[in-house]
Amino acid sequence: MGKRWGICLSASAPTTLSIFYKSLWDCHRIVFKGGFKTTNEELFKTLSDAVVSCKKDDVIAAVEKAKGQAPAVELIDNGLAAGMNEVGVLFERGKLFLPHVMMAADAMSAGVEMLQDELATGEGASTKLGVIVNGTVEGDVHDIGKAIVSTMLQAAGFEVHDIGRDVPVQNFIDKIKETNADMVGLSALMTTTLQGQKEVIELLKENGMRDSIKVMVGGAPATDAWAKKCGADCYAENASEAVAKAKELLL
Amino acid sequence: MPIAHIMASGMTGMRAAGDLVARMQFSKNMRLGEAKDFVAKKLGVSNADLSDEFVMREIREELDIGVITSVPGCAKGIAAKMNIEKLLDIEINCCETFRNTIA
Amino acid sequence: MATEYFLRMGDGQKIFMTKEDILADIEAGCADAADLGDIPALSEDEMDHMLDIITSPGRIVGVEPGLEVPVTHDIGAIRIDGDQGNSGVGIPASRLVGSMVHERAFGADTMELGHIDYSFKPVKPVISQEQQTMEVCQQNMVIPMLYGAMPNMGLYYTPDGPFENPGDLMKAFKISEAQDSIQHAGDHGIRDMVWIMQKLQKVGSDGVNFDTIGAAGDGDMYASLNAIEQLRKEFPNMYINAGMAGELVLGMHGDLEYDGTRLAGLWPHEQVLLAEKAGANTFGPVCNTNTSKTSAWNMGRSVTFTKAAVEASSIPCHADMGMGVGGIPMLETPPIDAVTRASKAIVEIAGVDGI
Repeated sequence: MGKRWGICLSASAPTTLSIFYKSLWDCHRIVFKGGFKTTNEELFKTLSDAVVSCKKDDVIAAVEKAKGQAPAVELIDNGLAAGMNEVGVLFERGKLFLPHVMMAADAMSAGVEMLQDELATGEGASTKLGVIVNGTVEGDVHDIGKAIVSTMLQAAGFEVHDIGRDVPVQNFIDKIKETNADMVGLSALMTTTLQGQKEVIELLKENGMRDSIKVMVGGAPATDAWAKKCGADCYAENASEAVAKAKELLL
Repeated sequence: MPIAHIMASGMTGMRAAGDLVARMQFSKNMRLGEAKDFVAKKLGVSNADLSDEFVMREIREELDIGVITSVPGCAKGIAAKMNIEKLLDIEINCCETFRNTIA
Repeated sequence: MATEYFLRMGDGQKIFMTKEDILADIEAGCADAADLGDIPALSEDEMDHMLDIITSPGRIVGVEPGLEVPVTHDIGAIRIDGDQGNSGVGIPASRLVGSMVHERAFGADTMELGHIDYSFKPVKPVISQEQQTMEVCQQNMVIPMLYGAMPNMGLYYTPDGPFENPGDLMKAFKISEAQDSIQHAGDHGIRDMVWIMQKLQKVGSDGVNFDTIGAAGDGDMYASLNAIEQLRKEFPNMYINAGMAGELVLGMHGDLEYDGTRLAGLWPHEQVLLAEKAGANTFGPVCNTNTSKTSAWNMGRSVTFTKAAVEASSIPCHADMGMGVGGIPMLETPPIDAVTRASKAIVEIAGVDGI
């Protein structure tokens, strides 16, 4: 209800009155700029909507307007990243497509870039959610599902190193070391190549790296039960679940 | 798994009349009911008989359109399909190819 | 304590649930499909019927006599001679023997020939062998015998094919380049699929099964529909089945169209209209099984999607009911109780014309 009143005041009431109400609703921040008052929620929604529009210009304009009105970390988390989450949902629902996801991610990056100065000095020094190495295991040439997962993870703010398909086991280890990765994503589309996921996990153990990295498995024949059996940390059913689980495990 | 489907829901192919109904679906875009009606009429049986091995065994032998067990002298392969062509009033590609080969 | 009934998780594991919980899962699966596809949910009677099917005491269930449907068999004879550790049982037999086993021993209503890789692209170099095998199969078999393969546009992208990998291009924000690559691969795929089927029709094939259309997204569907259209023009009597890969056509390109309709984001009841327009005789709707959900949830979802497609269609719909689709668990040896229940539900509730 408070939010509705706030919107109503912003549209019609004089500034003094809105300031009065502001003091009453200390739970809602009402910001004033250029004669138009906006709650933080509205601010975040504007940013989020701009990302969902997939238009870089809209995001840049929204960030320009929002800058300084709330901490940069909040603008990113509650505005830009929330919009990106919505883009992921719309992708899964068949309302937005991969090019849109990339355009939205590109627009969001531009928005985050504009807030970099404040981020570097202010609260939250980094916007990177984590480093993920993603690949399809050796013997399996399927690429597309894994590429979508990489794209969605990247769009969500992870630093993703997609090392392709039919990846030799040792290459996973090398890339994890090289990038100091927090998580490795192992894809397999065939029941015949599923075992390759376990082989990577075994090699992680042999190298003493298993405890310092999270392992996600996916692909048509993978299941929760398989994830438990092969010693992975999680299984993701699809790209948006991969993003959600990566956040659960890494944040 | 295909056997489980066939046992649960299938028309059991040449054991009964599943191949004939499928042919009408593929060759004339007939929906299930229409295809069953068409084949049943051609065979002079009820729709339910199309999945009844007891009824169809005799009919298949009589019409010489291929039977599932090995019966000496019964039409097999393309010969059976040529009889199916006549029965269902359709053209089957391999029969046409065969005719062209021997012409 | 309330009576509990056994059913399966999407990965095949046995679980026990009360009738109330099973019904709640059926409703949830059904609601998910209705929400995503903007289609009607199943009626209460239909959900109750599904509940009866799931809780039926017998290990195996079956459709009421008279409601049987043709069961078409895909993946060729790979189930018999496939020995690469997948669902094939590794019996050393020729493809003719495998096909005849399906016809004579299993009672399949139709069969298809497919090669071990099961994608169209690798057929080109071995086309003579495929022709020869098709010819021999046609001479010996009675049931309809199609050629089956996957459009599998993934094989046209680097490093397997000549076109730059759109996944890599997308990640580098080269969106228009990625779209161009998808379009070029699609055009190349059309040429290959048409050429392969021209050769097989020449030796007497009954037709073609495009299996897993859309597996590589909208580019895959673009290629398949255009190939169907060309083949239909050239071979008016050819049997053509358009079988899908999933319930949703993923938008890898996003802007590809067929006959003025955007392909990305189509659900089964929308996909079937295009398959029909392109010239397919039968359509294979698909709904993937979620391995983390129960068979009740998966069956509710799958039947809802499939029913909408069946109702929208004017051509026969042969639902894809293989491993990991149609409410059947994702397991190489799917439990028979689960298979027969999904089978009965898709016939009696969704009203499919075939499986």
